[in-house]
Amino acid sequence: MYWSELAWLIPIFPLVSFVLVGFLGNKLFKKIENGGYFAILMAAISCFISLMVAYEILSGGYPEGVFKQSMTWMTVPGFTFNMGIYIDTLTALMLIVVSFVATLVVIYSIGYMHEEGVKKRRYYAVISLFIGVMLGLVLASNYLQMFIFWELVGLCSYLLIGFWNTKPSAASAAKKAFLVTRIGDIMFMLGLFIFFVGFQGNLDFDYIFNNVSAFSGGNDLLTLGTFFIFGGAIGKSAQFPLHDWLPDAMEGPTTVSALIHAATMVKAGVYLVARSYPVMVHTPDTMLIVAIIGGFTALFTATMALNNPNIKRVLAYSTISQLGYMFLALGTGGYLLSLDVSNAGYTAGMFHLMNHAFFKALLFLSAGAVIHAVHTEDMRLMGGLGKKLKITSTVMLFGCLSIAGFPFLSGFFSKDDILAVVYEAGEHNPLFYLLYIMALVTAFLTAFYMFRLWFMTFRGEPRDHHAYDHAHEAPKVMTGPLVILGFLALFSGLIAIFMGFMNIMVPTLVGPIEFEYVAPVDTLIETFTHWLTYLSIAAGLGGIFVAYMYYDRKAWNPDVYVATPARRKIYDILLARYGFTAAYDWIGLKVVYGVAKVVDWIDRKIVDGIVNGFAKVTVKLGNFLRKGQTGFVQSYAALVIAGVSIIVILLFLFGGVI
Amino acid sequence: MIAIEYFIGLSAILFVIGAVGVLTKKNAIVVLMCIEMMLNAANINFVTFSAFSGNLNGMVFALVSIAIAAAEVAVGLAIVLNLYKTRDTIGLDEINLLRW
Repeated sequence: MYWSELAWLIPIFPLVSFVLVGFLGNKLFKKIENGGYFAILMAAISCFISLMVAYEILSGGYPEGVFKQSMTWMTVPGFTFNMGIYIDTLTALMLIVVSFVATLVVIYSIGYMHEEGVKKRRYYAVISLFIGVMLGLVLASNYLQMFIFWELVGLCSYLLIGFWNTKPSAASAAKKAFLVTRIGDIMFMLGLFIFFVGFQGNLDFDYIFNNVSAFSGGNDLLTLGTFFIFGGAIGKSAQFPLHDWLPDAMEGPTTVSALIHAATMVKAGVYLVARSYPVMVHTPDTMLIVAIIGGFTALFTATMALNNPNIKRVLAYSTISQLGYMFLALGTGGYLLSLDVSNAGYTAGMFHLMNHAFFKALLFLSAGAVIHAVHTEDMRLMGGLGKKLKITSTVMLFGCLSIAGFPFLSGFFSKDDILAVVYEAGEHNPLFYLLYIMALVTAFLTAFYMFRLWFMTFRGEPRDHHAYDHAHEAPKVMTGPLVILGFLALFSGLIAIFMGFMNIMVPTLVGPIEFEYVAPVDTLIETFTHWLTYLSIAAGLGGIFVAYMYYDRKAWNPDVYVATPARRKIYDILLARYGFTAAYDWIGLKVVYGVAKVVDWIDRKIVDGIVNGFAKVTVKLGNFLRKGQTGFVQSYAALVIAGVSIIVILLFLFGGVI
Repeated sequence: MIAIEYFIGLSAILFVIGAVGVLTKKNAIVVLMCIEMMLNAANINFVTFSAFSGNLNGMVFALVSIAIAAAEVAVGLAIVLNLYKTRDTIGLDEINLLRW
């Protein structure tokens, strides 16, 4: 018996929790946190199975390496749709990340959502559903099944972002998240149509990955297909130009943000690209687009985080930026693979995904603890909280150091890997040198804004004494998950390297390229003997130093940047997200609404007009003819006689009868 | 022997007089009488053709027609009587129940 055979149970437990808490919660769980503990229990069980399955697959415990299980779902003449489970190393990694982070988030929620009252039931129900469908997405054995869960993930994000749905900004943020990601979903669907046609109606991963050459329709169509698949990832992972929903999504509870950013929603996009790798590496153009969009998004959104005063928004921009890194790594790696160059792009991207899950969950949950303490998200009202929130400030420091790429912490290794791969790709296409510079600048900016956040929140003098006086450390149920995540943020990189992550997490089924075995110690030695590494360390430390000078020592004054109107303008542009929000609104209001108005006019006036016109003419004609009905029998008789007479006369004249 | 044209001419004159009466008279009883006149114009034709062709069919038709006319008058007069009872008039220009 293998644990993998139980893998189908993994999404079932959270879904059971969703059904029980959601529909019977008022009866069953009224006394016990409105179902919170039950949700934890179910998440923990599926987390346990996930970890067992992942261990089995990653350690090679399952003899064939990839566990496949599927059954016929429905048969349409000509096609058969399957439902099943597909577990390879990528799935295993995602299982660890999703189930583990999600379980911690639910535990943390007990403390964070404590004061929500009966609304908690809805919260725990939907969050269970969210975890369940995300695990289902990860485990899916074909694109169609994945797409179903993909849509459900979108639905859950809508429900959770709009949790405080009586607040207009939350409601509109939820709508925005749903609609903007829907654009990506449509592209994903187009990609699936192309795949469906090209692969003779078979969407199973197993079939597609082993038969990429069987794609009918030529390479151009395949490129288009993979591009559209990536389009789905753009929407879900909030990449440029569909990035704008994620900062707004901060309207939801902080725990939801942590879940969306670390484990579920936005990671689904990265997972999709990584999952489609065996197909995508056959289309270098798509891979190049992935890399460019990733690299550009990383830098672009990092700049928006530079001056934002909202603690959660800064983290949101940071997520988009880090996701950009992942796409940059995947795209670059795939591009190199399509040129038959063995490289670590895929590994680096997935490595960063894992590390990011831990430290971003940590950062969000710490931010949640801060918000819990001072009841504001505005960093300008914080300051000096380090003295009061000792645990939170410490673990958040670990998170910040990790994301900033401080040597030996988890974020450092994966970010360094990504930078190295991109630099390496420059040999084959000079464009990657540009992307490398962008990524390096992003690393600097990341370090800067993360430490700006940390210094503004925890150091210096309290700026709002009222908030400061009421601040208190979060309860144990919240700090517990924080400490676990803090430990992982520090060491997940080193642990993974020593457990041979580099050798396990290589793309399977991508052709004749051999990935050579690297000993963990060699990885470390190679890392620290290469000059590139010192460049990225310098970028990270430089960012930290600049933030220190501005916001902790106050040796430099950040206000000089807004001293003149011209500089102030740049500041405002960054705050206004380069006008993207306004542009979306403008497009929505003027263009879409305008088109809708024109269409509405055509429908009302022309389409309806023709139909109504016919009816009107008929009625008019009827009214006119009605006058002929006098009701006098003599006039009818006169008509008859007149008619007969006319017929007789006509017969007489032309008929030749008489 | 009198030429056939005279008979047909008489019949035509009678028929037109009857038809004009039907169309113009306001009194329902007069209208019924005019209908009788039109029927009799037709009967004259029947008898004439029968006599001129040496075939009795026309005579039989005339008899049938007279019988039916008698029955029709009975029904017609009954309707007129009822009309008079319910609406106090037999003027056809006042009876327009089926009008729009």
